[in-house]
Amino acid sequence: MRFMVIVKSTPGAEKEGALPDPQLLIEMGAYNEELVKAGVLLACDGLHPSSKGARVKFSGKSRTVIDGPFTEAKELIAGFSILQVKSLEEAIEWVKRAPNCNPTGESEVEVRQIFEMEDFAPILTEEQIQHKVAKRAELPLQTANR
Amino acid sequence: MRFMVIVKATPESEKEGALPDPQLLAEMGKFNEELIKAGVVLAMDGLHPSSKGARVKFSGKNRTIIDGPFTEAKELVAGFWIWQVKSLEEAIEWAKRCPNPHDSDSEIEIRQVFEMEDFAPVLTEEQIQHKVTKRAELPLQTANK
Repeated sequence: MRFMVIVKSTPGAEKEGALPDPQLLIEMGAYNEELVKAGVLLACDGLHPSSKGARVKFSGKSRTVIDGPFTEAKELIAGFSILQVKSLEEAIEWVKRAPNCNPTGESEVEVRQIFEMEDFAPILTEEQIQHKVAKRAELPLQTANR
Repeated sequence: MRFMVIVKATPESEKEGALPDPQLLAEMGKFNEELIKAGVVLAMDGLHPSSKGARVKFSGKNRTIIDGPFTEAKELVAGFWIWQVKSLEEAIEWAKRCPNPHDSDSEIEIRQVFEMEDFAPVLTEEQIQHKVTKRAELPLQTANK
């Protein structure tokens, strides 16, 4: 099973031009190396503050663009990992060993199960699923289990 | 530049055992094929409702587990892409062409992804190179190879 591990943002991480604390970058690097060694980590990335981003709101046929930054830091994402593990419990055990992303305060990480193409069996035909699997294989860095 | 393009959840996508609408899956598949043809999409995935997930709260050395589901659907993620484009504007243009990802009103958030070189102000050249080398070991790392 694959899980997306979502690191929530904090006011510090959302500051204009904010860069992660160098000490945390090193600790996170060591933790990620453990995950790689265990064959658990498929992908990971960190995000710039939302001031460098935008939102697109969809309503029927209309599309409205809203420039960042966005408030409510704890609703924003600061980074993510994709883990391949046997259960939600195993994913949680790995997450509990991660360094606190906000060394001076509190932070939150969300663990969410990723859809595999076979999960769509109740609503798609075998042919449609196979088509999706084939198309996904064309992704340069697709994160589904090969 | 790489951007993470985040599809926010809605109350319907958060329903226990919810599966995407087959018609929408087909339309989204077509949009994805366009993205792939244009060499824009590096990775993508959809997420099960948060009832199949959990949160871990960090406070100093404490770790507290909270089981899903979680409320406030519009703060939750339903799926994402990683796109490689030349600018935020190009990412926005692509996002505007996306089929509405839900039956109801919905929202997509576009966020720039850190490249290791962005850490130059806080890390030494050696530390950055170490990170680049380690990232190359990721089975499916999304940084531009």
